[in-house]
Amino acid sequence: MTFRISTMLPAAVAMTFSLGGCERGGSETELVERDWSGSEREFQLVDSSAERFRYQSRPAEGSETPSAGGSSNGPRLTYTTPEGWKEEPASTMRDINLSFGPNGEGECYVARLPGAGGGLLANVNRWRQQMGAEPLTEEEVAALPEKPLFGQPAKFISLEGDFSAGMGSAQTQPDYKLLGLILASDAGAVFVKMTGPREVVDENEEAFDTFTQSIDVSMN
Amino acid sequence: MNSRLFPTSFLLALLCLPVLSLGREAPETALPNYEPWDESVVETFETILVQDDGRVKPISTFARFTLLQFSGKTTLTFATQDGESHKLPYSDWLLDVLFRGDVAKDLPVFVVDDSAAVVQIGVSPKSKRDRYSYNELSEGRAKLAELSAQYAEKQQKFEQSDKDPQFELGRIEGMILTLGRNISTFEYLLGQLGFARKGELIVNENVLPEELRQLGRRLDPVEMLDRMPEMSLDQLVQMVRQPVGESEEEQMFSGALKLFFFHANSARGVSLFPPQDEEDEVWLSAGDVMLAGLASKEVRPWATENLASVQALVEAEKEDQAAFQAALENFADQQRAEAESRGEGTHAEMEVNLYHGKYFSNALVLFVLAFVILAVSWFAPGSKFGRIMVLIASLLALAGLALDVYGITLRSIIRQRPPITNLYDTVLFITGIAVLLGLLLEYFTRIGVGALIAVVSGMLGMFLSMKYEAKEATDTIGQLVAVLDTNFWLATHVTIINIGYAAGLVAALIGMLYLAARFVSTLRGRRNKDFFGTLTRMNYGVICFCLFFSLVGTVLGGIWANYSWGRFWGWDPKENGALMICLWTLVILHGRMSGWIREIGTHMNSVVLGIIVTFSWWGVNNLGVGLHSYGFTEGVWGTLYSAWIVMGAFMAMGIVVWFVERKRKSDKRASASADPVTA
Amino acid sequence: MAKRKTNLSPGNWPRLLYQFFSSLKLAMVVFVLMTVVTLFGTLDQVENGLHAAKVKYFHSFIVQHDLFGTIPILLPGGLLLMIVLFINMTLGAIIKVRKRWRGVGPLISHSGMLMLLAGGFITWAFATDGYMALYPGMKSNRVESYRNWQLEVFPLSEDGTADKAWILPPETLQGIESDEQFVATTPSLPFDVVVNGFSRNATPIPVSAPVAESSPGKEIDGFKLAPKKPSTEAEQNLPGCYVEFRPESGGEPIEAILWAGSYRFDPRSDPMAFEFEVDGQTYGAVLAKESWTVPFEIRLDEFIFEKHPGISTARNYESRVTRFEEGEEDTALEIKMNEPMRYAGYTFFQESFGPAGSNPGDEMFSQFAVANNPADQWPLWALVVTGVGLGIHFVIMLIEFILRSRRKPAAPPTP
Repeated sequence: MTFRISTMLPAAVAMTFSLGGCERGGSETELVERDWSGSEREFQLVDSSAERFRYQSRPAEGSETPSAGGSSNGPRLTYTTPEGWKEEPASTMRDINLSFGPNGEGECYVARLPGAGGGLLANVNRWRQQMGAEPLTEEEVAALPEKPLFGQPAKFISLEGDFSAGMGSAQTQPDYKLLGLILASDAGAVFVKMTGPREVVDENEEAFDTFTQSIDVSMN
Repeated sequence: MNSRLFPTSFLLALLCLPVLSLGREAPETALPNYEPWDESVVETFETILVQDDGRVKPISTFARFTLLQFSGKTTLTFATQDGESHKLPYSDWLLDVLFRGDVAKDLPVFVVDDSAAVVQIGVSPKSKRDRYSYNELSEGRAKLAELSAQYAEKQQKFEQSDKDPQFELGRIEGMILTLGRNISTFEYLLGQLGFARKGELIVNENVLPEELRQLGRRLDPVEMLDRMPEMSLDQLVQMVRQPVGESEEEQMFSGALKLFFFHANSARGVSLFPPQDEEDEVWLSAGDVMLAGLASKEVRPWATENLASVQALVEAEKEDQAAFQAALENFADQQRAEAESRGEGTHAEMEVNLYHGKYFSNALVLFVLAFVILAVSWFAPGSKFGRIMVLIASLLALAGLALDVYGITLRSIIRQRPPITNLYDTVLFITGIAVLLGLLLEYFTRIGVGALIAVVSGMLGMFLSMKYEAKEATDTIGQLVAVLDTNFWLATHVTIINIGYAAGLVAALIGMLYLAARFVSTLRGRRNKDFFGTLTRMNYGVICFCLFFSLVGTVLGGIWANYSWGRFWGWDPKENGALMICLWTLVILHGRMSGWIREIGTHMNSVVLGIIVTFSWWGVNNLGVGLHSYGFTEGVWGTLYSAWIVMGAFMAMGIVVWFVERKRKSDKRASASADPVTA
Repeated sequence: MAKRKTNLSPGNWPRLLYQFFSSLKLAMVVFVLMTVVTLFGTLDQVENGLHAAKVKYFHSFIVQHDLFGTIPILLPGGLLLMIVLFINMTLGAIIKVRKRWRGVGPLISHSGMLMLLAGGFITWAFATDGYMALYPGMKSNRVESYRNWQLEVFPLSEDGTADKAWILPPETLQGIESDEQFVATTPSLPFDVVVNGFSRNATPIPVSAPVAESSPGKEIDGFKLAPKKPSTEAEQNLPGCYVEFRPESGGEPIEAILWAGSYRFDPRSDPMAFEFEVDGQTYGAVLAKESWTVPFEIRLDEFIFEKHPGISTARNYESRVTRFEEGEEDTALEIKMNEPMRYAGYTFFQESFGPAGSNPGDEMFSQFAVANNPADQWPLWALVVTGVGLGIHFVIMLIEFILRSRRKPAAPPTP
């Protein structure tokens, strides 16, 4: 009996409601007028879709800090700042400098170097060393996974461990995570490096992809 | 300190509970002789306060859960060359780690469940499941770091790919990952007091170049602090990074800075020092104190004093235990005075005693003993002897309940909260309620069933609490997130809903007992209607009790949600779990009234109720992809599935009974209708 | 049991219906189905998020659930079950039930449950919920929806303000399929609005980005709209669509991508409108969160935020606010966790804060959940009624049980 009711009831109901439910086909409607007087709305007036879609172009701050690397003379970078990330001042070494995480403990920056920037192998292993991982061989580096950066395949590095930036005796941050992209060519090398406490980086891994895919070069 | 009420191991061996008889492997390699700490040293050490996980607590609690995390136990057992065997409690162990690092490195601390894990990192294995010392693992240290980083990444992918099985960590891989994390923590602890040790750096020293190590032996960072220019951490980092000049003076200065930085960095993590500013809540580690002193000359006297107090400990430890004890006492007194003036650490002593008292494991012993005695009563059921045995078992269960309640009370006082604030608390609380319900049933019915329910719930619950504590290995008296910061709702909704859970579980136990008994009696073809009738009435009562508390608890939860989030009901998993319990008790009650559910049905459905309760209690918490889901979730689901299989087995017995009896009835009817006289 | 013949003549139908809807067995079936639907609706949340599961399983008349992810079965939805339960309870437990002293407990408790269900229905049908986010010093009476997005078109003044708008409401906009073309008109505006390729979650990507090539959408002003899988957190979705404004006077239609991300992320910033001109008048268009006003204004005076020492768990956050209402005195009050402000039918709860990544001491905004629920306090009264009813019944049963057990001690089990 239970069985019969439980199978029949929905069927009956399904029929009833499918008859009444399929009236949503009309694809034309009238707009609803709404009066805002008294609490009128303000809107930002923007010039371009890029701005409206938050693809800000960072004004060239190179003029303030005459750069030694000369990278600021190149074309400007445009990118999307992921939600919840903060802009940090760029520096001579960092074209884009962002922070994220509950206390801004995570950082993510983009750096460009003329020439191969010391070579792919050396750079991968420098990062690995900072995270307390063993260096890789050239073959192993060649086998690293790739992600797009400026539409080209860049080597993707993801490491967990204790992070010590700088020299051997520098401060060690336990349980850290590093995500990085390296795009090395003879003309120049681009690095995107994201570091922070493991959990914070994990939470922002998707944002990292969004960010890296949004980086583009603007010629004007 | 290790006073035990009963010889646990003997009893457990007697019962042969497979889950409890953890293998006791004899250590293969004898360790260097071990000089134990004086009891007075340990006692004094235990009262030292530390701020950890947002709470000021005795260092013994910190030690206990750290050791639990490393070794799965709170006591280390090992034998030494001289043939002595040692049992090292958690605080003694932490004393070794902090003050006698070389000794601590030899202690078999790190549990590895499968020797295949150590083989993978290139360490020669011992038994299948065994504990390894830091030194035993040291040759595999580099490989371990590499593999655990790799597996951490893999686990990450697993969670991000919506549990794509190709990224799922294997059992061994999970073990290596855990081991890697534990080793890192251990190294951090070893290095804590490095700054006070002048040259004996113990860990991480290989990080430093040789000339710095040389320098480290000559320089005392505390003295150095006095002569340094003021600088912030950022400035220090800048200075350390700067290229070093040619002159010896410059090199000396740069080396000193690097050393200072190294020490300050190694000494972070264990927060032993109440901040200078009354308003400030964050306690400081020795490393923080060093940096604070570096940043401002005003702070330096205070910083130097604090750092010197740690140096005094290290010095005194080298002398002898009496001196060490005096130094510890001095340190603890001063710290306590400061903490008390801030209103912190007031229940530290009670907390030390809570863990010394071992209330919950002793309660387990009592319940197990009661179970044995109850089992004896079954040899002479109904006799005077049998009744006395049941009475003794009930009294033992009552004593177990008393210990449980006492432990819960201490925990509530320490935390200044109602009894339940996290999952671990619910285990203790639900066990208590279930035992109480069982004893009440026994009091009213006197047929030995209530006592059995009480004893079984007590055993299962206390065992579960120990297992869960070992599995989680984090302090179970934690801080609360903002929404839980309300004693009113914690005391009402949370308490009431958990009483409902307990009643549901008791109903399931009665149901299982009934089904098993009915199964046996059906096979034998005899049936004691009174006994089964009483069980049914009993279960009906418990189900009503469950409905009352689940319903009130659930609606109270909704009202709380309405107060804090603006909606009464949001269909989130925990709410749905509670709703399903209410619904199923309603199914049973209405089914009984409508005549669809009778005796067997009541008990069958109460077992289903038990399945729903366990799902709501444990399952829904683990539906999501949690951050720490490795191992934990696995274990929880494993346990849940086995519990459900057991319950399913009991229900299968019920189904057999139902078919057999229906057949008998129809046979009877057939024979009756064949006989025209009776018709 | 002898089989009873049921009288199926049409004249007997009302009685049969009454019997069916008032029966205990129906109650039981509803409970069983409700349990099953609740279980499936809970498990579904793992995959599809809370909001989607809620709409599919609980706010519905009928559900198609895929058993073990493969076998499709039809089940009655939570809404239907609760309506049936309500009818069943009213007929069976209130009207049909024999009135006697022993039944007084159940009668009371069933009334309480009816009240709870009725409250739930009123909440489902009439309650609104949204939020208001304010920085200290800001004052507002406007509440925004969490998930409902609407298309707004308005004549825009030169300084970027608008005092009138034409709206494609959320029920319509969010129902548009991605491959559907939807025309919205009004005699008051000199153009039609045509919506294309609406996507519940989307992101605009510049065509220069490498991923843009594989994206099917049309390029407008250097961008394409790429649909994304809707998030399990429905609040996180940022819808987007292509729109065309077709002047009635003829002439080229104006095309644009509208994206929810141009709306505000921060209470201080204003939405960024797409600007266009028809017949010499400037118009703006945005995808905006549905919003409504409350009959009073709230100013955030201070936001207090504390963390547990040394860890990132928030210990407490609370807001000091002032309430302004015409003809009433300004009232200063506090809104904190578990202590909402109830006023004029609205309830303000301390919900969260921002921006993400703030620390104590930073300038932060405070976010209130704002609910307007006519049945707000019903559960409380329902609980009191039910509790009293169950309590009375429970005590009666307990006494009976004890008396019976005492009178006739049962024999111990036979081994």
